[in-house]
Amino acid sequence: MSEIVLESLGKTFGDFTALADMNLTIANGEFMALLGPSGCGKSTTMNMIAGMLRPSCGAIRFNGQDVVDVPMAKRGVGFVFQNYAIFTHMSVRENLAYGLRAQGVPTADIKKRIQAFAELLQLESMLNRRAAGLSVNILQRLAIGRSAILEPAIFLLDEPLSNVDAAFRAVMRSELKSLQGQFGQTMVYVTHDQLEAMTMADRIAVMDHGKLLQVGTPLEIYNNPADTFVAKFIGAPGMNILQGRLSQSADVASVGVPGVGSIPLSPALQSAVRQLTGPEVQVGFRPEQVNVAGAGLTMHVGLVERIGARTIVHLERGETTAKAVLPADVALPKAQSDWTFAVPQEDIRLFDPKSGQALKARTH
Amino acid sequence: MTSIRFENVSKYYGDALAVDQVSFEVPDNAFFCFFGPPLSGKSTILKLILGLETPDSGEIFFDGRPMRDVSPPDRNVAMVFQNLALFPHMTALENVRFPLVERKIDEATIRARVAEVTEKLHMAHILHKPPAQLSGGERQRVAIARALVRDPVAYLMDDPISALDARLREETRVELRRMQQDMAKTLIYVTHDQEEAMSVSDQMLILDKGRVRQIGAPHDLYDTPNSAYVASMLGAPAMNMAGTSDAVSALSNALDIDQGTMTVGIRPEHLKVVRKDGPGRVTAIEPLGATTVLSIEAAGVTWKASLRGQPKHEIGAPVELSVDAGGLHCFDAQGDALSAA
Repeated sequence: MSEIVLESLGKTFGDFTALADMNLTIANGEFMALLGPSGCGKSTTMNMIAGMLRPSCGAIRFNGQDVVDVPMAKRGVGFVFQNYAIFTHMSVRENLAYGLRAQGVPTADIKKRIQAFAELLQLESMLNRRAAGLSVNILQRLAIGRSAILEPAIFLLDEPLSNVDAAFRAVMRSELKSLQGQFGQTMVYVTHDQLEAMTMADRIAVMDHGKLLQVGTPLEIYNNPADTFVAKFIGAPGMNILQGRLSQSADVASVGVPGVGSIPLSPALQSAVRQLTGPEVQVGFRPEQVNVAGAGLTMHVGLVERIGARTIVHLERGETTAKAVLPADVALPKAQSDWTFAVPQEDIRLFDPKSGQALKARTH
Repeated sequence: MTSIRFENVSKYYGDALAVDQVSFEVPDNAFFCFFGPPLSGKSTILKLILGLETPDSGEIFFDGRPMRDVSPPDRNVAMVFQNLALFPHMTALENVRFPLVERKIDEATIRARVAEVTEKLHMAHILHKPPAQLSGGERQRVAIARALVRDPVAYLMDDPISALDARLREETRVELRRMQQDMAKTLIYVTHDQEEAMSVSDQMLILDKGRVRQIGAPHDLYDTPNSAYVASMLGAPAMNMAGTSDAVSALSNALDIDQGTMTVGIRPEHLKVVRKDGPGRVTAIEPLGATTVLSIEAAGVTWKASLRGQPKHEIGAPVELSVDAGGLHCFDAQGDALSAA
């Protein structure tokens, strides 16, 4: 049972604020991803949970107990780093046994657990190999195994897959997910890769410049991003954000994008835009929401990237750029031509032009 | 204006055959990509083009002229390395000027040449900055501009953007494609990222242990791979592969399987999943927003289905699987494709 609570957590290095006022509760057995670009404060947060860094302010509680003064070794956390720090002079078996020996686990138990974890992580065939000659992929798998075998209640992983190749990354994503499902540890996973966060996490905490911007399930964050940063960071490609202007004709409020066209607003968004003080607004829609059968918006087609099952169409008109993602069974637009499309009303998201915050559609 | 042609080129390192009877032609002004796993011969082929290695047999031609006795500098091929090797103490402009200054070319020519190249690559706003102040994509542009001022016949790039993070790679590959179209030069490219390869290339050459497996436009290779090998190299998630009888028991529709089929391949986006009592069980759900990837156990095989949007599914729930018309690939015992799906 390990719930992690971060309360008004902050960390400064001299004048530099690495993390400010972080409030986050990670439930027992939850898989939480800390997601953001480099310098967003995700690793700083992780290092404070692990006990490698002391907070400048705020509290960290495990199951209600403040752990700020508890040394790293006594916090009961397992930690896997990007650089896997394997003992290369030892065999795979010795690496797996190392932590258990240090804990004084009986030899018979060590043997049993090594067998079980080697099977789980497909390391059985190389138990007696020296770590020195192993590939990067296998070393990372071993690093995860060496930590997981201690069955820590809290498992912290800092970009563990950033050095392995793409195919292996996909395999490890599902292995990590099933490992966690099996042992039910509380998992905190630091990554800059939104795909890893989306595919593995129960919830994602999106961070930027030392601030927590949004916490939610992958689809909550994808469908209703809290601001334009989150909107653009999640998704591949991210959400299109265009500079728009509100207009009112007869009873219909719509948002126009200069030179591109205009989209009538849903009733919920019509009420949301009343929060704005001027006509300027940022209009967001996901590249895959572009409807090729519709009309209303026209942009110039630049590059057309056909990537297997999907095609990314790069659109521009003056200063405005956008992307559309089309499935393989849709007729592709010609490069260097004008192209007309629609975005369904319900897929439009609006953002405050100054703060970038999402305008919340109030449902009646 | 140069076409590069290999005719039955082989290269040994000791006893190891690194490049095995390779023949291909890179059309003029093409974005041509070599793709394959590590040690498949990609880097050796680049070295052979540059002239850093000599073929043990076969011949390399530039515009029909044999290159056997032409030294690397005389081939005039520019290489952009993975570590871009910019001079950190020089500005972007000084870096770009460097190869011309070093050759003692007169100042007026240098200015004209540099202006032409930097304008084409839209880099006026970064010229005064040192590399440390540039983004990964911008540094890439400086490295390419520096290669471009020499006016080479072709560019070679060996995994030039693999060090960048995922988001930056997506942007930079589009930049690279635009630049290649603007410069109208042959660009020979090596990458290990299938999405990047498909995004940028006019043509791809798929390598397997030093041998050519297939050459063609990326979407042709994706839609009609000539082998299970090529099929599994492209696409994420990868093509589902199953034995013929497993496929028959897992899928609900009648399959049009060719005579002699050993393995059936189905791309994840060509699987249809219906929530009803069927032979499949959902074992994992990956919600990506734009698509949802399901893992489904059926007939002892784990199938990946890539569904559009955010359909509702539950782990452990029974499902029925079927394949879209034209979505079936048949491979024989050697792994060769039996019919164009």
